[in-house]
Amino acid sequence: MPLCHGQLLYVWLFNITVVIFTLSVNHGTTAYEWFKWFKFGVHQPQKMLQPIKKNCFSILIILLPLCGNSQEVALDSLKNELDGHTLQDTLRAGLLIEMAGAMTYSNPNEAFPNVEEAIAISEKTNWIKGEALAHRQKGNLHYVLGDNLNALDAYQKALVLSQKMSNKQLESSLLGNIGNIHADLKEYDKALANYRAYLSTAQSLNNRPDEIKALSNIAIVYNDTENFEEGVSYLEKALALAKLEENNLFIAAITNNLALAYKKLGQNKNALIRYQEAANLAQQIGNKYIEASALNSIGKINVLLKNYDLAETNARKALALSKEIGAVEWESDSWEVLSQVYEHNGNMAEALDAYKEHVQLRDSVLNEEKRSELTRKEMQFQMERQQAVAQEEIKRQELVKNGYLFGAILLALVSIIGYFLYKRRRDALEKGRVAEFNALVAETELKALRSQMNPHFIFNSLNSISDFISKKDIQQADDYLVKFSKLTRSILENSEKKWITLEEDLELMKLYMQLEALRLENKLDYHISVDESIELDNTLVPPLIFQPFIENSIWHGIAPKQGSGQIDLLIKKDGNMLKYIVEDNGVGRLSTNTYVKKKGSFGMKIASNRIDIINHLKNTNGSINLLDKTEGLRVEIRLPLELQF
Amino acid sequence: MLKAIIVDDEQHCINRLEGLLQEEGHDIEVMARCKTIDEAKRKITDLSPDIIFLDVELGNNTGFDLLSQLDDFDFEVIFTTSFDNYALKAFKFSALDYLLKPIDKNDLVNALQKLREQKNLKETSKKIDILFHNFKEGSESSKRIAIPTVDGFAMLDTNDIIRLQSDVNYTHIHSITNKRITASKTLKHFEGILENHTFFRVHKSHLINLSFVEHYIKGKGGHIVLTDGSKIEVAIRRKEELMKKLNPGLQS
Repeated sequence: MPLCHGQLLYVWLFNITVVIFTLSVNHGTTAYEWFKWFKFGVHQPQKMLQPIKKNCFSILIILLPLCGNSQEVALDSLKNELDGHTLQDTLRAGLLIEMAGAMTYSNPNEAFPNVEEAIAISEKTNWIKGEALAHRQKGNLHYVLGDNLNALDAYQKALVLSQKMSNKQLESSLLGNIGNIHADLKEYDKALANYRAYLSTAQSLNNRPDEIKALSNIAIVYNDTENFEEGVSYLEKALALAKLEENNLFIAAITNNLALAYKKLGQNKNALIRYQEAANLAQQIGNKYIEASALNSIGKINVLLKNYDLAETNARKALALSKEIGAVEWESDSWEVLSQVYEHNGNMAEALDAYKEHVQLRDSVLNEEKRSELTRKEMQFQMERQQAVAQEEIKRQELVKNGYLFGAILLALVSIIGYFLYKRRRDALEKGRVAEFNALVAETELKALRSQMNPHFIFNSLNSISDFISKKDIQQADDYLVKFSKLTRSILENSEKKWITLEEDLELMKLYMQLEALRLENKLDYHISVDESIELDNTLVPPLIFQPFIENSIWHGIAPKQGSGQIDLLIKKDGNMLKYIVEDNGVGRLSTNTYVKKKGSFGMKIASNRIDIINHLKNTNGSINLLDKTEGLRVEIRLPLELQF
Repeated sequence: MLKAIIVDDEQHCINRLEGLLQEEGHDIEVMARCKTIDEAKRKITDLSPDIIFLDVELGNNTGFDLLSQLDDFDFEVIFTTSFDNYALKAFKFSALDYLLKPIDKNDLVNALQKLREQKNLKETSKKIDILFHNFKEGSESSKRIAIPTVDGFAMLDTNDIIRLQSDVNYTHIHSITNKRITASKTLKHFEGILENHTFFRVHKSHLINLSFVEHYIKGKGGHIVLTDGSKIEVAIRRKEELMKKLNPGLQS
């Protein structure tokens, strides 16, 4: 059985509780039977006193009317106060909240900036209570505008804050508000849970009015879910407390609800008594709403009990009251009772008229009801959609999270790969640098070796000059000296160079052999032959690389020899290698000259080292080979063929 | 009989040169031997020699100081010097004759023969101007060079030379002023003189001034285009070094 109920608002005003009742309208499916639960709402500081229409058909009854223009005055004075206090402090935040409260019903839409500013200020100044109050006021605004979802959101925020600062009073009111929203949305479990929490906080605070409201609202939820026994038990508890409080309004409303519950339980007599009590009390306190409702109910039960006179009397009273306060559905109810009474009395025409009135009014109520039902459904749909969106958002966030995770893994992977690539490159660079350094070292060594060779040669020559002088051969000494100075000059010039052209090197060698020929008094003959395929001016050789071998041939081959000797220099191309051959027809190593045999000359050793360095630098396989001939020595030197162009 | 003065601050050097000149076959009479600039100046004025053998290193001074103190000179100069790279370069630039100590008999004979063959005082004066210029400027970037041609000498600023191209034993020199000069020296000779400047041997037959490089065209060795529009082939083996010269920053 679908149930619909209106909702009601509780109004607090300057700590004085103002209770507004709305009529909760329920109808059954079989017969259009009307139930009127008087539900208690909990709301917060406001000065709004006009009845408002919410999403459900509802009528608000103002129980404690305040002087009509007081709110206007309050609003104006608040506005003035606010304008005069621009400092962003808690005082201003409080004023803003108050102002928004004052605007709740008159101008809710324009009150939002106030609460937002109040929230901002409270956040900035760490005024948690202000923040909570501002959020609650924001919730009130949304609630009034029928935006239950945002209202719920705001209330929840306020609730968290109130719990944070352990403000039970605030927490309690918020729980009530949240419960109302859930009840409106027919989320009874949630509504019940909130109301129970509301109840327990009210109990712990010893706040009896709140306790009564909580108990009543719990009862209404039970009744709405047709758990009337529970409903009755809660209502009885509420009633007992209301009586303790001596709050007639509460007593009247609760008694009325209790009567309805008994009626639903089929205890018509019990119900009748309660309705009568409620009606009497309502009359006593001048609440025509409750009175009319109760009287109608009395009428209906009397119809059932076939006490038609009583039914008519009550219905007429109710009709009058309903018309007076303009409560259409009550009027409709009255007409229904009357129609049944007329029908029983055989007064068919009047019965029909009454029925017509009833139906007409009922339809208008129903239309209103349907509209509100539609609105409610729409709202529910909105909420579901919002939930779906939220779900979607969660999924999306999950996806984003996964994306981030994946991205992070990818990044890590890329980083690792990048690092390895970088490391490899760095290592390669490092290797290159090391190689370069090694090359530098090798080059330095090369220079050092060359500089070592020069003095060696210089002293050999000086020795020769000395030899001429000792022989008193002045002309030869002079000749020798001039040639020697020329050779020295050339060597000095070329010592700076790593490579010179073969042409230059051969010039040097010629000069050297001429010198040696002079020294040996023309005992030495030399011959140089170069392969035609070799470009003398384009082939590069390390300077004086084969001088030590010529020297060796002269000194240890030809000098000790009886008669003249010859040195042949042969230069050939062998693939990408250059081949020098120094050949002499001297005494050779097989003779008694043990010194060279064992150690080789200093210069030859240096030449060998130089070739090793060249091999290292150019990654070639230059070599030196000494071959003993039957007469003399043949030295083969292989060097990489380097071209200038 | 040519009148000669020897200017040298070391007696043994004077002795050696005089000894060589006194050998048969030289119609040269040594009129004076001077050890200082002042003495040399006096003797030159007094004796008006045909030829002066001038040592580059004269105590704290140089032979150039002597020449610069003379307003006008109508004699040939043969410089004598021991090993001095800087001075040698200067002589090569000026194309003046010089003898290296200890003086080789044959070198002396050659120098004297050359002197007799092309005795041209005007040119000597020009060459000495170049020598002075290069010494005074001292800078490596701007030097004047005397280029021996078939019929004499051409004087050029090294900064004006765009490129040199070998032609067997001759060298064609392209400069911004003269279209083309053919020098009676090998390209190798010029490379030796110019290699420390902005000149670079990009090819067996090409020496270019890197200041005139307009752009480089990639290739096996590639080509260099110079501002005069000439496109010069770069030898493969010279490419790497050329790149280093063109982009010094790229050297690691």
